[in-house]
Amino acid sequence: MSVQAIYDAVVEFDIGKVIDLVKAEVESGTNVSVILSDGLIGAMDEVGRRYTEGEFFVPEMLMAAKAMKAGLEVLKPLLSKGENIKKGTIIIGTVKGDLHDIGKNLVSMMMEGAGFEVIDLGVDVDTEKFLATAKEKNADIICMSALLTTTMPFMEVTIKSIREQGLKFKTMVGGAPVSEDFATKIGADGWSPDAPGAVETARRLTAR
Amino acid sequence: MEFTKLFTQTEADRVHEASLEILENVGMLVRNEKALSIFSANGCRVDMETKMVRFPREVVEKAIKTFVPNYTFTAQDPKFDVTMPGDRPIVVTGSSAPNVIDPKTGEERRATSTDIANIAYLINELPGFDVFSISTLADDAPEGQFSMSRFYPALKNCKKPVRSNTPNMEDLKKVLELGILVAGSEEAYRKRPFINHHYCPVVSPLTFDVESTEAVMYLTEQGLPVYGTIVPNAGMTSPLSLMGTLTLGNAEFLGLSTLIQMIRPGAPMIYAVLSTVADMRTGAYAPGAIETGMLQMGHTEMARFYNVPSGGYIGLTNAHSNDAQSGYETGMNTTAALLAGADLFNMGGLLGSLMAFDFGKAVIDNEIALMLKRMKKGFEYSEENLCLDLIGKIGPGGSYMDTEHTLKNMRSIAVLPKVATREMRRRWEDQGRPDAHSRAMKEVNKILIKPNKSRFTEELDAKVRGHFPGLVAGDVDWHL
Repeated sequence: MSVQAIYDAVVEFDIGKVIDLVKAEVESGTNVSVILSDGLIGAMDEVGRRYTEGEFFVPEMLMAAKAMKAGLEVLKPLLSKGENIKKGTIIIGTVKGDLHDIGKNLVSMMMEGAGFEVIDLGVDVDTEKFLATAKEKNADIICMSALLTTTMPFMEVTIKSIREQGLKFKTMVGGAPVSEDFATKIGADGWSPDAPGAVETARRLTAR
Repeated sequence: MEFTKLFTQTEADRVHEASLEILENVGMLVRNEKALSIFSANGCRVDMETKMVRFPREVVEKAIKTFVPNYTFTAQDPKFDVTMPGDRPIVVTGSSAPNVIDPKTGEERRATSTDIANIAYLINELPGFDVFSISTLADDAPEGQFSMSRFYPALKNCKKPVRSNTPNMEDLKKVLELGILVAGSEEAYRKRPFINHHYCPVVSPLTFDVESTEAVMYLTEQGLPVYGTIVPNAGMTSPLSLMGTLTLGNAEFLGLSTLIQMIRPGAPMIYAVLSTVADMRTGAYAPGAIETGMLQMGHTEMARFYNVPSGGYIGLTNAHSNDAQSGYETGMNTTAALLAGADLFNMGGLLGSLMAFDFGKAVIDNEIALMLKRMKKGFEYSEENLCLDLIGKIGPGGSYMDTEHTLKNMRSIAVLPKVATREMRRRWEDQGRPDAHSRAMKEVNKILIKPNKSRFTEELDAKVRGHFPGLVAGDVDWHL
């Protein structure tokens, strides 16, 4: 009953209400996994459906993701070690020399909304920083974004370094001038023309 | 011609005041170290640690005092020189798309230096265009010649003013070296600098970048032509209201202008913008949206407030083919901007929000440009143009077709389009029902199959090629 209320509060992106309801539900003894899967994650599936239908706009999806995360923070200390709450770990940033981060931010927020752990390195990120962070966080995917056609070549530099060092990180590239052909040419594992597609691609690349 | 006014004097004053408040209280993040020290030395409150710069109002007001009302684009051939505001509207191609729509296959592909040569020659010949902003990148650029592979084919095949950007200082200096070589000497080039540089040094909201800011400062110091475009995107990098985005963009323009005027008081500038509203359904970038035109109108009014030339990337489209959407997005937004008094229209030839150049689109935009220029010329009010004597002479029921007056005006009063059809349906059917795009491509072909008389002389070309070994061919190569 109240798990449904959590679900509704996420879909209505009411952060305060989500936190209160999750706390109350935990206190009343409801199984934490049920709150997580039926309340929080179930709600995000509905949000995703509404977005795909064109009923929800991007800001609504982002607000819902924020509400979901707030609820998740309450649950985190209570989840047992084995419980896999995240779909995968993503390192994301705009490549060296590029400060244009609108698209990257959108992808970052939507990935979080979809349940990934996202480490956003911000703008102007060089290969060393991408790789060091990915190693430290044991990441699944490194996502690189560029708006300037002049900064795109840095994507290839990072991908080459991953290969040369024999690392297992998957790579995704995106940004207005980045085409599928370009992504293939430089050996990226994933590419998407837009943010929702990036989430789909990440899901595919991390499917176990 | 009276321009459309959107705001009362009180409202325009308030936008200005609000912009000063933003600069003073919120400030700008300045990532370029040299810019930080210039701001610091000229009265801004600078935190070197956080790189935050706050602008006391008197600092901005001092900069505004040295704004100048003119901006000139100098050409290799002086007959193509244009100055704002006198020669407005100045129509410029859209620039730096990575792709081209292949004229033969109709498929999108990466653009090359040969495409740039073809486009340069086309723009040289299309009378609606005043400035050639290098439309695409060159995917075939040899290593280390990213910018040379764009500027060389452009300058080689187009005598109109050439405009574009460079990704770093090394490329910028090489391009200037090319300019000096073409001009004959550094002195000659400085007298008539026919390359105009353009950057987007401000990344909204309220941030100066490193490389573009460096280039703008360098060119300003050198007294060479440069201007910046301010690019807020409502809902993403600026508030989701037209007033909020106008005001934030205005503050960013003032921030950039203050830097330029600190370096060289009286440096010519353009209040150039590409203010847009993001499509909140997907986050999509929408430069073809009508709000882009509305925001341009608002910025143009603020430019008039400061008495500086205005314009920007206006007349872009989100359409992926040269179709009705492409036409109405370019047509409506540029008409709006023209009626508000904009001077500069970065509008020609690009599809898919700046992603691909299309030859047919460039020809249609040329016609739109001619129509805009016609509108700007206006009714030419005069006693003589009332034609009272003639009206009396012809009287009721007569015809004006065979009068001296008509004969005198028949080639100048109306735009005579080459693409728009005015024939009866049957004739159009007999021609195979050509649409606007195929008629436009025919015009492209007509121009590009002829040899380019404006090309570099062999002597000059040999000099340039000798100086820069390994250059791309940079010649027109056209066959459909």
